[in-house]
Amino acid sequence: MKKQHIILASTAVATAIFLTACGSGPSRFNAQSNRGITTTDDINFKDWQITAEKTVNSMLKSGALRRPDGRKNIVMISTVKNSTSQHVNTQILTNKIRQAILRSGLALTTTAVSARGAEDKASKQVRQLEGDEMFNQDTVQKQGTAIAPDMSLAGEIVQEKTRQGRTKQSYFFFHLTLTDLKTGLAVWEDNVEIAKQSKKALIGW
Amino acid sequence: MKKSAYTMFAALVVVCAGCQNTVDTLENEQKEMKVNYIRSKNISTDGYLRDRLIIDSMNKATLPGGIMQAQVTIRSNRVGFFTELWSDITDEDPYKIAYRFNWLDLDGMEIQTANSVWTELDLIPGETRRLQSVAPNPRCKDFMLSIKEFDYK
Repeated sequence: MKKQHIILASTAVATAIFLTACGSGPSRFNAQSNRGITTTDDINFKDWQITAEKTVNSMLKSGALRRPDGRKNIVMISTVKNSTSQHVNTQILTNKIRQAILRSGLALTTTAVSARGAEDKASKQVRQLEGDEMFNQDTVQKQGTAIAPDMSLAGEIVQEKTRQGRTKQSYFFFHLTLTDLKTGLAVWEDNVEIAKQSKKALIGW
Repeated sequence: MKKSAYTMFAALVVVCAGCQNTVDTLENEQKEMKVNYIRSKNISTDGYLRDRLIIDSMNKATLPGGIMQAQVTIRSNRVGFFTELWSDITDEDPYKIAYRFNWLDLDGMEIQTANSVWTELDLIPGETRRLQSVAPNPRCKDFMLSIKEFDYK
């Protein structure tokens, strides 16, 4: 009986050690790598990266950002509508695209106006200093000097879920448009499709 | 008994090999396009990848505004009876790779872009794919393409 207890206790300790060894502590990894959790129902960071890569390539290739008069277009970020069942922050995508637009040297982006108000409220705040005795009025930004946008970047993310037996699938459709605000015409449009699938184990989770 | 085991194994091999689909292609022989091919310098460290993936060509084009576009044509070489059998057994059909473009400016400095991430790609045996990238700005004229077998790292 005593021997049985020893065996039982040893087995319990061995199992506990084994299970502890199975886990791993938190660690950092390169966000540009293929590592990271992939889930079927959500948009994971790799999906944002793939979408940004494809849309930026497409936009730069299209030549839509260029103006014939040599002046640079000013692009504002409008709304990317989230029509998925998840809460997602579409700014991950729009920020990547606006950075690429700025780096291209073909156009400029504005932070003074966006669909959700100013990205940077400072442009408006500094103009409220007009007449403030504290500031040298020659250095205060004047009204009527900010440049209004010529183009607007907008889009929508749509998700379609399907389930058959133990297999579930998500289809994400990212659609982006660049609109000439003078004419209201879309000068560039493209989409990225990402499909994900997973199969539930017969037993377990 | 031994004979029937051999027969069963042979049948299994044939069935497995028959499971894999490969891609046949057809294209016009006399091309109208004028392709600006680039001579490439290839550093291969993965023998498996070298055998499985053929780099057919590299070409470039200059887009309006002086931005360069690069294209690399690759082809999956995982064809042939034993190769197909092996990739079917190891569940490597389609063949999964990852690639990344890095762009360098005129001073040789790397410019981080939305393209500087590993992107996954599925290749069916025999399939030809064209990997494309657009330079982040007109000052970038040189690029490097990295390719690896997909491994979640």
